[in-house]
Amino acid sequence: MMSRIGVLLGKDVRVLRRSPFLLASLVLYPLAIALLVGLVARFANDRPRVAFVDLDGLPEVLSVGGQDFNVDNVLRQVRAEVDLISLSQEEADHRLANGEVVAQIIVPRGFASRLRGMVESPTLILRATRGGLSGRVERQTEALVFNLNRLLQKSYIEANLEYVDLIRKGGEGSFLGNDVSIVGLQRAGEILGEIERETEDPEIADKANELRNFVREALLALDQSGASLRAVANPIELRFEDEDRRAFLLTAQVQAYALALTLAFLCILIAAAGIAAERDENVIGRLTRGLVRLGEVIAEKIGLAALLGLVFGLALALVFSAALALGGISGQPWDRLPLLAVGLVLGGAAFGAFGVFLGVLAREARTASLLALLVALPIVLLGFLPEVSVAPAAWVSNAFPFAHAVRLFESSLYDLSPWGTVAREAAWLAGLLAVFAAGARLGVRRLLT
Amino acid sequence: MAAEGVARRFGSQLGLAPTSLQVRAGETLALIGPNGAGKSTLLAILAGALAPSSGRVTTAEPPPRIGWVPQRPGLYGLLSARENLVLFAKLEGVADVPAAVEKLLKLVALPDDQKPAAELSGGNQQRLNLAIALLGGPDLLLLDEPTAALDPTQRHALWDVASDVRERGGAVVFATQNLEELARVADRVAVLLGGELVFEGSIPEYERSPEADVFA
Repeated sequence: MMSRIGVLLGKDVRVLRRSPFLLASLVLYPLAIALLVGLVARFANDRPRVAFVDLDGLPEVLSVGGQDFNVDNVLRQVRAEVDLISLSQEEADHRLANGEVVAQIIVPRGFASRLRGMVESPTLILRATRGGLSGRVERQTEALVFNLNRLLQKSYIEANLEYVDLIRKGGEGSFLGNDVSIVGLQRAGEILGEIERETEDPEIADKANELRNFVREALLALDQSGASLRAVANPIELRFEDEDRRAFLLTAQVQAYALALTLAFLCILIAAAGIAAERDENVIGRLTRGLVRLGEVIAEKIGLAALLGLVFGLALALVFSAALALGGISGQPWDRLPLLAVGLVLGGAAFGAFGVFLGVLAREARTASLLALLVALPIVLLGFLPEVSVAPAAWVSNAFPFAHAVRLFESSLYDLSPWGTVAREAAWLAGLLAVFAAGARLGVRRLLT
Repeated sequence: MAAEGVARRFGSQLGLAPTSLQVRAGETLALIGPNGAGKSTLLAILAGALAPSSGRVTTAEPPPRIGWVPQRPGLYGLLSARENLVLFAKLEGVADVPAAVEKLLKLVALPDDQKPAAELSGGNQQRLNLAIALLGGPDLLLLDEPTAALDPTQRHALWDVASDVRERGGAVVFATQNLEELARVADRVAVLLGGELVFEGSIPEYERSPEADVFA
């Protein structure tokens, strides 16, 4: 049996070698799709359109706690994240209703005066539609408020420290809009010292001494108030450090997706077109009248898909490794390549079984190729959706090999302890392989008519 | 070999009504009938390439080696003639593959170049089709309109090969619409009409039958 399958496998490899353009297309096409999907996922809707409604008429420069804020500069920072369009409330409502903008950021009346007063927190209003981008806009608006708060926080701290300084050193100042004149702790200490020295009443001298000690301790405590205020304002500080991180295109997840995508298109298409071509070339009847069993023809096509998956998958993994090495980035797990190879064979076989099933349904090579392409694309896209976010998509995706292949490849290459995931996903792939191969076997007689 | 009530349906369509027919050693049996009469279906069933919907095909013991030449050549278009022959010889389990391939290339006078079979002329594709059928040294040769794409010289060569099989004690069954061939090479004739076997007998019996007028 193996020799008959081997003879047919040799024939198919020879035929593929005579179609280098087809083979190159089948490898490059999914890579191009992977790149495009990656770029779309990364950059599409990167700057959603958001209406900016300024009901308060913010000035160009806003003075808070003695610090000047250039409002345009702050908005420019926001514009790096979202496409911010200044609109009236009416126009913004209209555009939000018809979907031209995905959200409104509203600056309510009294915003600037509350900000200047530094007593009550002013409010920004975010009004967003429900939909695919609302979460993203919410996060970006939260980031905007976070950034604004960080800028304002500095001013608030500086203003508070000025008050502390006024209390320490004394002098002229203003609080809640009222001008005040304060003697200050330092001067109060000096005055208390003079009282202590000049008084002849020991009781007054004791009390003055007691007060002077308090003033001295208060001064010491207030000297630390700057650091304390900053610490309270930022209990946890995030520090960004540069290192030799993998570029986006070389992340572990992208490698796994690229491998699975290449295998999905290559193996499904080759297997689907391959089995249907046996009928197109009018050879299937000749083969199955005693030379080869129908089950062996199916096994051979699945074997071909597994072989192609192994060869092209490993080649792709080596290209990634070389790219990482050229970039001076360490961490490519060479010792995991044998485990990956097992995954590639299993993944290729599962995709191949699915392809054979489609080829048997289509019966004709051109229809089979088109069907394979039409079916492979949504399956792949389903696999790209996050499992947690879109549960029904994940259920459907689990019925096909793509998502399992991605998880298997990713775990094989990068998990510190991959065996659990590898075993689970390998079992899934083996199960799907058996199901699709059985389906193909049930329908393969269609090729004989 | 005998077909015992073999029938074949393609979905709701009847391809071949229950048909019984015997093929005897040393004879050449012609299947005639218009297009769609069921000739190719009957040949494919006899070849074992198509399972009958009902009925069965019985053979003597040991079962004869069958060579089937389908109407549309069954070969791999991207492989050369030699590569096709080597492939099918391996699958047939031929002991000395290179020798068998050389012999058949000479027998059917095929050009031994690297040209893909799909690029061969119709006549050469049909000769390759025949050569593949001959690889197993068949006792029963089933030919489905084998001369349609052949020139007169090639037709002679084909019938020479067929008569070799018959002289070895084998049998030849061929489907044709060529009445000249029928008279020249057939011993017996079976007439199919609309999927039904309507006549079976010797050539003189056929010539006297009303079915002969249908194809006259």
